Amino acid sequence: MTRQQNFTDPKIDGDLKTVSYIADDSGRQEMTPGAIWDPVHIVNEQAWREIEKQIESSRRKIAAGKRSPLHYHMIANQMNAALLARYTGQSSWRVHLHLLPFFFRRLGRKTLTNYADFFKISAEDLQSGRLKPPLYSRHEIHS
Amino acid sequence: MKYIPDNTSFFHSQSAHCESGVAANLLSHGGLHFSEAMAFGIGGGLFFGYLPFIRLNGMPLVTYRSAAGKILKRLGRIPGVEIEQKRYRHRQRAMAELDELLARGVPVGLQTGVFWLPYFPTALRFHFNAHNLVVYGKEDGDYLISDPVFPGPVRCAADDLARARFASGALAPRGKMYYLRRVPAELDRGPHILQGIDSVCRTMLGTGFPLIGIQGMRLLAGRMERWPKKLGEQGAALHLGHVVRMQEEIGTGGGGFRFMYAAYLQESAEEMGDGFLRNCSATLTEAGDSWRHFAVMAARVCKDRPRPGDTYAAMAEQIRRCALLEENVFKQLRQWLKQ
Repeated sequence: MTRQQNFTDPKIDGDLKTVSYIADDSGRQEMTPGAIWDPVHIVNEQAWREIEKQIESSRRKIAAGKRSPLHYHMIANQMNAALLARYTGQSSWRVHLHLLPFFFRRLGRKTLTNYADFFKISAEDLQSGRLKPPLYSRHEIHS
Repeated sequence: MKYIPDNTSFFHSQSAHCESGVAANLLSHGGLHFSEAMAFGIGGGLFFGYLPFIRLNGMPLVTYRSAAGKILKRLGRIPGVEIEQKRYRHRQRAMAELDELLARGVPVGLQTGVFWLPYFPTALRFHFNAHNLVVYGKEDGDYLISDPVFPGPVRCAADDLARARFASGALAPRGKMYYLRRVPAELDRGPHILQGIDSVCRTMLGTGFPLIGIQGMRLLAGRMERWPKKLGEQGAALHLGHVVRMQEEIGTGGGGFRFMYAAYLQESAEEMGDGFLRNCSATLTEAGDSWRHFAVMAARVCKDRPRPGDTYAAMAEQIRRCALLEENVFKQLRQWLKQ
């Protein structure tokens, strides 16, 4: 269950072709096609490493019984309790309670389904603690 | 005057920034040719703001361009241009009205949250809610999208697009959608160019609010010097990376929109036959280079490979240099406007 998983490929933003304004020799700004600049790769990677660290720490807390599986799904999707509450139409203290195993075990079907639909997983997976990858690393290929 | 032609194909032209790209594409589609830089400049898109009380992923908001919607708002004020804009409470209604417009062949601009758009590369899917795109059709339940920062048209499933339109958190779009009702057949850009420059001079040189404009840059520089002490090495590096991401993320054209604005001044110089604007364009390019210099230094620190001299004090000094360059440009431009 706690299989190590890297959700990001460091080159994953590299294949996007972008355009930017670059001055030519005479100082004229021209819209020029190119790829994402190297320093940007570095800071993007930094941000994702931080997210992965948080995900790992969340997995540990769940394994230790300190947090409910909901905590993993929240963190993996880069949210906090306030944002998750806004998305699922509840008050944030309720979400805070649901992040604790004691309350999570006692969740009704309706609330569980509400969370599961939001994270696009099945209620069973959520309840039983199968930690599915976050929304953004499951996308189907669109042309 | 003429109405927007009734067809379903949309003229997609890749841009460096989403809102100016959407604005330029929509206007050009309507028959009034606009380059991205021109839309950005007349829309008064350049800005600087350091707003620590607004948090993105737990980091202070640093922005190099004006608030989402300002460019469109200003372009909508041009006589003869009519932009209809709506927000929604209910998802179903918002999607139904979008479909209705598409059925009539009207391309529609939307504000969306990037996190929910599956066609974005995974590494760029952060919770950032001020992204603009144009929907121009629907096919087999998928929306056909002209996203200005992508090389070509893309597709997005209806459910994902609905989620993106109703993303929550900072800068929530609340289903915002807009489309052109009419555009003038011709436009004398001169007065609008002046107004656009005037608007940016005002915000950059002093609104009395110390977090924005040149003052905001200097404030950020001062705060940055204290980050290592206040946040620890790691926290400081994360904040630093965030500043660079806001500056250099796709959609800034690099140099935190400074190059794009330089392109605008250059185009305006040609339009108005005024050499002075060309000089300003060159100075602003210098400011953009100076921002990029800061980004390079910052990236080395973030990667934990600083060279000697890559200190927070040096980076703050670099930002002050940018502030000085920009202060000079906008002071000169303000003088020039008075003539």
